[in-house]
Amino acid sequence: MLIWLIFALMTGAAVLAVLWPLSRAETAVAAETGDAAFFRQQMADLERDREAGLVSEREAEALRAEIGRRLLRAARGEGRSGPEGEPALRRRRAASAIALSTIPLLALAIYGAMGSPHLPQAPRAARMDGGQLDVGAAVAKIEAHLAQNPGDGRGWEVLAPVYLRAGRFGDAARAYQSALDILGESPARLTDLGEAVTAEAGGIVDARARAAFERALVLDPANAKARYYLAVATGQDGDNAKAIDMLRKLLADAPADASWRGAVEQRLAALSMSEGASAITSLPEGEQALAIRGMVEGLAARLDADGSDAAGWARLVRSYVVLGEEEKAREALAKARSQLAADPASLDMLAALARQLSLETDATGAPQ
Amino acid sequence: MTRKQRRLTLIAAALAVLGVALGLVLFAMRDNIVFFYSPTDLEAKAVTPGTRLRLGGLVAEGSVEKGEGQNVTFAVTDTNRSITVRYTGLLPDLFREGQGVVTEGVLESAGLFRADSVLAKHDENYMPREVADSLKEQGLWQHGGKTDAQGGGATAASE
Amino acid sequence: MFVEAGHYALTLALGLSLVQFLMPLWAATVRDEALAAIAAPAALCAFACVTLAFAALTYAYATSDFSLVNVVENSHSLKPFIYKLTGVWGNHEGSMLLWVLILTLFGAMVALSRRAVPSRLRHLTLAVQGAVAFAFLAFVEFTSNPFLRLNPAPFEGQDLNPILQDLGLAIHPPLLYIGYVGFSISFAFALAALIEGRIDAVWARAVRPWTLTAWVFLTLGIAMGSYWAYYELGWGGWWFWDPVENASLMPWLAGTALLHSTIVMEKRDALKIWTILLAILTFSLSLLGTFLVRSGVLTSVHSFATDPTRGAFILAILVVFIGGGFALFAWRAPLLRQGGLFAPISREGALVANNLLLVTACATVFIGTLYPLALEALTGAKISVGEPFFNATFLPIVMPLLALIPIGQTIVWKRGDLLGTVQRLWAAYAAGLAGALIIFALVRGGPVLALLGIGLGVYLLAGSAVDIYHRAGGGRVAPGVMLRRAAGLPRSAWGTAIAHAGVGITVLGIAAQAWSTETLAVVNRGDLVNAGAYTLRLDAIFPRTAHNYREDVARFTVLRDGRIIGTLEGSKRIYVTRGMPTTEAGIMTLGPSQLYVSLGEPQPSGGMGVRIYWKPYVIFVWLGSVIMALGGLLSLTDRRLRVAAPVAARGRLVPAE
Repeated sequence: MLIWLIFALMTGAAVLAVLWPLSRAETAVAAETGDAAFFRQQMADLERDREAGLVSEREAEALRAEIGRRLLRAARGEGRSGPEGEPALRRRRAASAIALSTIPLLALAIYGAMGSPHLPQAPRAARMDGGQLDVGAAVAKIEAHLAQNPGDGRGWEVLAPVYLRAGRFGDAARAYQSALDILGESPARLTDLGEAVTAEAGGIVDARARAAFERALVLDPANAKARYYLAVATGQDGDNAKAIDMLRKLLADAPADASWRGAVEQRLAALSMSEGASAITSLPEGEQALAIRGMVEGLAARLDADGSDAAGWARLVRSYVVLGEEEKAREALAKARSQLAADPASLDMLAALARQLSLETDATGAPQ
Repeated sequence: MTRKQRRLTLIAAALAVLGVALGLVLFAMRDNIVFFYSPTDLEAKAVTPGTRLRLGGLVAEGSVEKGEGQNVTFAVTDTNRSITVRYTGLLPDLFREGQGVVTEGVLESAGLFRADSVLAKHDENYMPREVADSLKEQGLWQHGGKTDAQGGGATAASE
Repeated sequence: MFVEAGHYALTLALGLSLVQFLMPLWAATVRDEALAAIAAPAALCAFACVTLAFAALTYAYATSDFSLVNVVENSHSLKPFIYKLTGVWGNHEGSMLLWVLILTLFGAMVALSRRAVPSRLRHLTLAVQGAVAFAFLAFVEFTSNPFLRLNPAPFEGQDLNPILQDLGLAIHPPLLYIGYVGFSISFAFALAALIEGRIDAVWARAVRPWTLTAWVFLTLGIAMGSYWAYYELGWGGWWFWDPVENASLMPWLAGTALLHSTIVMEKRDALKIWTILLAILTFSLSLLGTFLVRSGVLTSVHSFATDPTRGAFILAILVVFIGGGFALFAWRAPLLRQGGLFAPISREGALVANNLLLVTACATVFIGTLYPLALEALTGAKISVGEPFFNATFLPIVMPLLALIPIGQTIVWKRGDLLGTVQRLWAAYAAGLAGALIIFALVRGGPVLALLGIGLGVYLLAGSAVDIYHRAGGGRVAPGVMLRRAAGLPRSAWGTAIAHAGVGITVLGIAAQAWSTETLAVVNRGDLVNAGAYTLRLDAIFPRTAHNYREDVARFTVLRDGRIIGTLEGSKRIYVTRGMPTTEAGIMTLGPSQLYVSLGEPQPSGGMGVRIYWKPYVIFVWLGSVIMALGGLLSLTDRRLRVAAPVAARGRLVPAE
């Protein structure tokens, strides 16, 4: 409420200041600042110069003549002013009305569309008081440590996921690569690297990521993450049928309670949707959509029972978007926010997700 | 001189200066302009050896060989064709295999280019515009920013 | 709340600038001074509002408020505090906010300059300025809004790029902006004169301080940018004819012409229409520069993010203001009272020649910068226009211009005496010739162009000295009187002499670069490399770590005639966790000259690739620019307008026309 009061005061001050000249009775102030006065001042300057000996008497004579000529011309031009009286008064009232309405209306309309008056300020120092771990400082400490000991593979391994979460995908990929180089290959490190590289490429599984996943699969043929991403890559190469097949197999092998099931299902749904009418699946269309919807509703039911699974919420929101049900996606997002209100990291993640899917309703995330 | 004559003198002087400038520009355009080519262009347009030009593309993976002194040999590729480049001097900080590069120099023979400058850019994400354009034509360039919900799904699935 | 109040203030400024734009125009059609007077408080309020907005953004940066998208993207809680603050304008959105801050500041200053500018002219100027402010405020609000919020706010920002933490990079854009924006005031004055249908010496006097201020800051901004590129890019060059550099050089050339033509108008009531045209042209080129830099249409060593919406918006602003300006010019200029003509051999004649050459030089830069873009758009062929092109076109135009400077400075108004002027300058010619000959003898030869440059530089310096000497009555009065008179000369006379001497110093610095050397070598410990009169001995290559980077340092001992002078370190640095390599050039300043070392790769054989430059008198390049700017500042403090009358060399009165 206070903020609107401040806005009102600001607006009032601006409008009053603008209207002030109209309230003055005296209209013509031009006389004292006009051209004639200007040349008179010039004449005075000339006299001063002459007295100081900078201009000789004869030069001064010529200059005086020249200034005099201009002074005459200027004086002739002055004294033409607009009509006074009733029309001027009416005009000024109109002008006042226009200024009085234009400034606040324009400001409020634009601010209303672009601003976020309800959002509190969030200076970092104030937020840190809440006993939050200062991630930034911790990262800086590890970075400094690594600058001295770049051979410390564990350090890189600790740092990499932090980067990934902070959205510094390129740095994350480099960190994983360093860990990999120092500590040697393992399926987990390879898939983590592939994931970071993929994230950096905006979700495209490029050659480098693919190589990492393939290598991981050699070391651990059952590695679910590698299988998942390779399926995604296959889909991105245009072979949706094969990708869907790969994902199906992955789902079949997956334990029933695997946390990543939802992601696979959702990707499967997305692929099936994008495939449209083609023969990607043996299921008739309606049935297929039904099957997907069934999976999504299952997820929604599970989350309603236990709302602490942030990844699950993200998946649900995403699924609704894929199914084209933005309204439901927004609802799910709002529910997730209220369920996870105590967990700032998850809230960050949800906000990022909302922005990514253009779901933001707060008018804060105008498309960048 | 009358007013008219003076005005004419002024206009004549202005025209003379502009004429000289135009001549200089045209002369300079003939000799001092360097064309940009990708390796594919170079072959398609059959550029004669000895021509000064800019060559841009990606530094081919595994192609960089550092010789004695500061001689370097590497291949510039647009993934379709590639051309060997010889260069003597310091390489820019961000010169790496697989990264975009623009070199300027003289085509010695088909397939061999002697560069006298290799352009450095002080932004690691920088892709020389010409290189980005010619890679786009080859269909190799993907916009990082243009991620649809589907592409985004791949990254979020890890959470 | 402060942040949101800042955002609201920005939208309020948008409304205020609209009022500032429309009211005086309406008032002008009905001749109502009181109505027009609304413009002044509107401009002052708009400035107050934008200041509040800028303060709010600065506060958000200072407190690392990551609920702002802009702060998240361009700051980090661990940045040193000073770079948090400079980060406010170190990004697109913030820098555009700074742009409108300067714009409205200048508007407010015009609003307050009651004594210097007649009221009608002032109000119309404010109207045009209000239109420019409105366009740019809308640009900020709708395409580059720094106040967009995030909820919930992330806990950390994304930008800790160590390379961008550089003071040179922080100072250079504001200087350029003050220059660009200052020319918008000259533009506003020009359009106001067209609308009013009246232009005279009063106008010239009113507009000159603005042009001069803009010119001073643009000069400093260009010099600063050039020095930054010199030490940061590690190529040893100080000017690359890069489109971004050209984008700032074009308004500088046109602005320099405007500065000189305004003098003619002020003193002789001539060149009126031409001056108006130049004012429009100069601001157009400033807008063009903004467009080129901000839209990302160029290939350039300065990389900026490409954003088509922004590019299109600026292009629209460009079209409206340039198109509108020239249309108004075509419609109203014929109605203006023509100025007087004058003799070709006179100071005004020399200044016309100066204008002609400057504008032509500007045109060659324009062609060299835009031709590649046009060609690519039309035929798809990609070309690069570099140094050889500009050497072949720009230099031949600028050299005669330089030769003209001392003549224009010394020759009298109205009807000059060329022979007398040349006689007075004999000392300057002799000095220039002697300078070139001495250098020729000392270095035994050298490129003709460089010797010519040395001669021109010395001649310019001597020309300025001769000018002051004669103005003070040198040779005609006793030395004591002369000194007193010299001290009492108008500051604008000193300003002119100092600025022109600055040009001479820059020319000397540029010419001296013909004798700079570049040595490429692979060095091992103990190896000696010659650079100029100095010898560098590689003492050690060793690694060093700092808190967020490691570097390989090569330490050289610098010797002259076997005596040790000092040590010089160049390094190849890598910011470990970002995997970002940079080269830190080692620079040793020896008087006005510099030794410059840039490191390359370690060689398989164990040595280190290095590039060593000897840059004789290179400091002169920037020093001269700073002196030019100082001259401009000195002139700025001289607010008097003195009407020039025919003053003959020996006190005789030459008949006036």
